[in-house]
Amino acid sequence: MPSFLPTVAEQLFKDIQKTYQEKTKIPDDLLIALRFVFGSCALQALDLVDQRSVTCVSSPSGRRAYQVIGGSGLLYTCYTSCHYCSCPAFAYTVLRRNESLLCKHILAAYLSQAMGLSQQEALSDQQMSSILSGRAARTDT
Amino acid sequence: DGGLSLLTILPPKQIRELALSTPISHKDVHHLSKITFSYPRSLEDLLQDVASLHESASGSAAPTSLIIVDGLEGYLRGPGVSGGLQQAEQSSAAHISALLYDTAAFLSQTLEERANSLAPCRVIASFQSEWEGHAGGDSSDPVLSVLDRYFQVRCTLDQDWNSALAVAGPQDTWHVYLSGAGITEAPIAEDEEDSSLAREWRLVICPNRSMEFTMV
Repeated sequence: MPSFLPTVAEQLFKDIQKTYQEKTKIPDDLLIALRFVFGSCALQALDLVDQRSVTCVSSPSGRRAYQVIGGSGLLYTCYTSCHYCSCPAFAYTVLRRNESLLCKHILAAYLSQAMGLSQQEALSDQQMSSILSGRAARTDT
Repeated sequence: DGGLSLLTILPPKQIRELALSTPISHKDVHHLSKITFSYPRSLEDLLQDVASLHESASGSAAPTSLIIVDGLEGYLRGPGVSGGLQQAEQSSAAHISALLYDTAAFLSQTLEERANSLAPCRVIASFQSEWEGHAGGDSSDPVLSVLDRYFQVRCTLDQDWNSALAVAGPQDTWHVYLSGAGITEAPIAEDEEDSSLAREWRLVICPNRSMEFTMV
């Protein structure tokens, strides 16, 4: 499957994963690179990661997705293989203006995966279908 | 056929008729049994149909290996989408396209694990742009630009009104060509006759609905 990320971004996430495993922190040079590649949403995404806002949801079929709690408390669903988010920033700056590669929620999902900081939650197959379709924004508690 | 299956999604208003050879052969019946037809009435229903494909992947049913969505424009501009708002249409186009892409990625993995198939799950969608025929400028359909993010290859059909062939008879003549990031960069030699590398065709549809493709 072709990647939705430019090579430089893929390498950056690999470097972050390797460094974070060794030192449990992201060094300044990688933070600068993040800011350079992703712009202002880099810091916002790191805030979301710090707040443990990213959850990887999975179901018995093996299907997975990410759910990210945004700054406003709303829950957004992001897919694992391509870039999509239901937030207004994705619709405007990515789709309409083509000014950004992704929004802070998608970036937070990438960073959480690289750093091993995403929560894990198991759902039923039907709950997963509702979340993927956008019919249910929140998982049942 | 390796126990693979196909899902075809058609809008509710579509004529439910298949162009099959007559008489219908045993092979046709066998192939038809592999196809699931779905007629979602709205974008919400379409999203739910695609989102739930993974539910059958863990069962005994054959994994879906090809998803065809006909008339995508009807779902993006119909009920369930804020009418006339370009950003809402783009967001809806991105949602269904991304969901199709992610679902195909998941099913490809399932096919590899369960059916021992290296062929990925494919997605084909048709979309009729309302921007066709608009004169001048570099503007392109904003929904198409979104679809291009998720679909690697675009196959465009332009009806040809002006060629001698189009003017001469009652048949419809179309110019068909491939474009997109998924098309390889390798140039085609002028004397290349390998049809597998062709990217442009003339399509003639005769009054009896037979179709003839000619490489251009």
